[in-house]
Amino acid sequence: MDVIDYIKSNRLIFDGAMGTMLQRAGLEAGGLPEVYNIEHPETVLSIHRQYIDAGADVITSNTFQANAFKLKGSGYSVEEIIASGVALAKKSGAKYAALDIGPLGQLMEPMGTLGFDEAYKLFKEQLIAGEKAGADLVLFETMSDLLEVKAAVLAARENTSLPVFVTMTFQEDGRTFVGCDPVSAAVTLSGLRVDALGVNCSLGPDRLMPVIDKLAAHSRVPLMVQPNAGLPSIRNGETSYDITAEEFAGYMRKIAEKGAAVIGGCCGTTPEYIRKTKEAIADLPYVKLESPRETAVCSGTKTVIFDQGVTLIGERINPTGKKKLKEKLRAQDFGYLVGEAISQKDAGADVLDVNCGLPEIDEAAALTRAVREIQAAVNLPLQLDSSDAAAIEKAIRVYNGKPIINSVNGKAESLEAILPIAAKYGAVVVGLCLDESGIPEAAEGRLRIAEKIIAAAESFGIPKEDIIIDCLVLTASAQQSLVIETIKAIRLVKRLGVKTVLGVSNVSFGLPARPILNSVFLAAGFGAGLDSAIVNPMSAEIMKVFRAYKVLNNQDKDAVDYINNYADYKTENTLSAGPAEKSDISVSDGDLKTAIIDGRRELARDLTGELLKTSDPISIINQYFIPALDIVGDRYESGTVFLPQLIQSAEAVKSGFGVLKESSATEDGGRGKIILATVRGDIHDIGKNIVKMLLENYGYDVIDLGKDVPEEVVVKAAIKHDIKLIGLSALMTTTVKSMKDTIAALKKAGCKAKIVVGGAVLNEEYVEFVGADYYGKDAGVTVKIANEVFGHGN
Amino acid sequence: MSDIILDKSEILRYLGHKGRTVRGDIMNMIDSCVDDILKTARYRYIYKIFDIKIGFQNGESCIELLGTNIRLTGNDIYEHLRDCKKCVLMAATLGIEADNMIRVAQNTDMLRAVVLDACAADFIEKVCDLAQNEIKQKAEEEGFGTNFRFSPGYGDFSLANQRSLLNLLDAERKIGLTLTDTSLMIPGKSVTAIIGFAKNYSAPVKKSGCDICSMRDRCKFRKAGSTCGRN
Repeated sequence: MDVIDYIKSNRLIFDGAMGTMLQRAGLEAGGLPEVYNIEHPETVLSIHRQYIDAGADVITSNTFQANAFKLKGSGYSVEEIIASGVALAKKSGAKYAALDIGPLGQLMEPMGTLGFDEAYKLFKEQLIAGEKAGADLVLFETMSDLLEVKAAVLAARENTSLPVFVTMTFQEDGRTFVGCDPVSAAVTLSGLRVDALGVNCSLGPDRLMPVIDKLAAHSRVPLMVQPNAGLPSIRNGETSYDITAEEFAGYMRKIAEKGAAVIGGCCGTTPEYIRKTKEAIADLPYVKLESPRETAVCSGTKTVIFDQGVTLIGERINPTGKKKLKEKLRAQDFGYLVGEAISQKDAGADVLDVNCGLPEIDEAAALTRAVREIQAAVNLPLQLDSSDAAAIEKAIRVYNGKPIINSVNGKAESLEAILPIAAKYGAVVVGLCLDESGIPEAAEGRLRIAEKIIAAAESFGIPKEDIIIDCLVLTASAQQSLVIETIKAIRLVKRLGVKTVLGVSNVSFGLPARPILNSVFLAAGFGAGLDSAIVNPMSAEIMKVFRAYKVLNNQDKDAVDYINNYADYKTENTLSAGPAEKSDISVSDGDLKTAIIDGRRELARDLTGELLKTSDPISIINQYFIPALDIVGDRYESGTVFLPQLIQSAEAVKSGFGVLKESSATEDGGRGKIILATVRGDIHDIGKNIVKMLLENYGYDVIDLGKDVPEEVVVKAAIKHDIKLIGLSALMTTTVKSMKDTIAALKKAGCKAKIVVGGAVLNEEYVEFVGADYYGKDAGVTVKIANEVFGHGN
Repeated sequence: MSDIILDKSEILRYLGHKGRTVRGDIMNMIDSCVDDILKTARYRYIYKIFDIKIGFQNGESCIELLGTNIRLTGNDIYEHLRDCKKCVLMAATLGIEADNMIRVAQNTDMLRAVVLDACAADFIEKVCDLAQNEIKQKAEEEGFGTNFRFSPGYGDFSLANQRSLLNLLDAERKIGLTLTDTSLMIPGKSVTAIIGFAKNYSAPVKKSGCDICSMRDRCKFRKAGSTCGRN
């Protein structure tokens, strides 16, 4: 029987600890266990057979680390190790042979340097070899990062027909090494429709119970559990574990009662553990896991469950009607989007909508980059917002977690384009109540479209829980009589058992005091059972409705959040959600300079605003920002102030710049364009980012290529932007070589730009070695170099 | 999460401070960063004790870790362990949360990022001290004294040793410590080190790490007349 069908009605028993057994058989510490498949096949086979004798149904191949990265230097190829490993598992006589694949051993971006496509390629190589060798399924185990797992699962689905089992490893605090929690793991992996999900390694079965409970509560697929034999201790050089085979078996019976259909062991579980476990559960009837009826979305580390109350989806990352965001998207300045993401999170958003649709840019590339950059800084789940199915698919591949797609609608074309993507990548999808003939005026018409969307989704295997219906808001100034139809439609649609969402702000278009209408309409929506709203969390009125409703519906327990926000509330108050209250100051000539020198950000911001009433931006920059920075820079160089003060002053100028940019058409980078990059192989970028900030303070336009930047990326950017100055940073002696290579590549490509290098490991002598023009000892010196290159006297 | 206490004077030193009064806003930032990093970082350490003996490889002396396939080569590690009967291999990390926190802070507040970075630098040293104290006790129980922490990258003990040391400790699986293909550790705030056990160390051995440090000629601390403290 196919293993996928088998586990729907039978318990499946995996084997135990290959590593432990190999060490007992003489594997040296630090040796690669996988080479035993070729050098000592009889040892591996005998271990497999001991587990079969103990009652295991599945034998896991000895291929945990058999990826190209970890086998480097072993003398064997991935294909050789996997072919021999799977062959031994099959030869053992197991009912099923599982191809075993562990983590790649490098962390993925943004934490590490491994890219999604690279990870995919490494897994693909293993998977193809495993299927070819005759594996019956693949087990990805001991995983920590959901994004790495996603690359693995997609590689399996797109290149093989192997059933996919996934287990992750959680620490005592209930999270993996990269912070993933069991709920997010269950939600994401269920979305990706793996065939079994669960936990392995980590701890003994006793301490794993809380993790198992959470996985069981949120998984839609069979549950798999392979614990360690407790905690290890070393006595006389021998590792032993603190849970006996009998105790282990007792716990495993409890775990099977909780609904685990696939069980086995990890570190320390010798055949005896598997034998006792098999005996202990022999008389226990199969327990089917209840599938949760919930609408859940998540990032790699945080889940939002719509059934637990109302959900706020931040609307601000959408260029429609936003001049500044449009500019930033065209300039590919994603730092601005990240800033918007952080401020919406701080204001109380639960989920963030991300829309990068501008006719003149590559939307797929922009949305993908936005997803990566925002996920690197904010742990909220995202809603990918585009009318372009290709853009959604490209971005959703690299999304860490289970996202929302915004949106599909009742048109046949839309259903056919979007629903397969939602099904394949396991997303929740927003369904708009419109079709080929537009938005039905009456609530009943919108209900019919909702029904159609739900039925179409079902045909792709998307459950109702993964659909959120948007009943659509019409504008009160244009179609006043229809506004209330939306509220009626919410009541009708809710009966279908789906969640609902509204983009509220549209209701007030063309009328004054829009926040009043928006917030009252939102409250009316909540009254009708609305589950979520796409709104501006920076609006004080909107937040009042959200926070008040969360008290009334028992979501904000003990009104903690409400009290935190409104304890000092006064009627007639005029709180704005913008920057904090103005400082009460009078402006005289020297004040702004002093504020910058003293690093007082709010004061610098307010003084810049005051000065702007009588002065133009250019003279503010030249007469205040730059002279003040020069003074701080000189003091830093002479040692009278230290780094934090320099940065504090730079932050003050940055907040002043913010005011100039908000209020006028001040362009970034009047002084010239500079590329900055931390070279390939190096991941230290804090120093580079300080240099960037200071250069921007002086009015330079910095093109920041980030860290671990390959040579060709620097060359391409330098040529594309016709660059005069390039700054390269390296922190390790080992990566100075990449710096040299990058400079060589630039020269070879005919780039005439001057090159300044910096980083802790460098000194004046290295300049010549790497072929650079200048040594930027620190941020202040680098500014002086830039001024020299661009001919701006100090 | 711990009994670890960070040392503000050390943090100021990492920030390049030289004995002047520190502005209140910056002291406040340090206080808040110390709290945050202590709350957020999930530090872990592991170590393993090995019997060692002096061996030869390619005509040069090296240190063999018995029961493993590892030989440590180079003059400086040889000097570090030549009088020892055993050594301990240790690895410590603040976990990925510290990296994430510093990275995210750079989007909104560079001062905070820089201060967090300095706090993390002190924090990981304190974690190493914690591990080292535990190791020292174990050594004493066996009648040994210990010398100091010697890490890949010191002297001629190449960073390329990082991979085999981490494999030997099973550090990826046990504490989530990984390497890039350029041998940089991620999480970034991590340390590996080797400490020797010998019968004749009665008191903790102090030896200036600067003599063998590859950063000797360009170290900002030395220029300012002090040391980074890793000695």
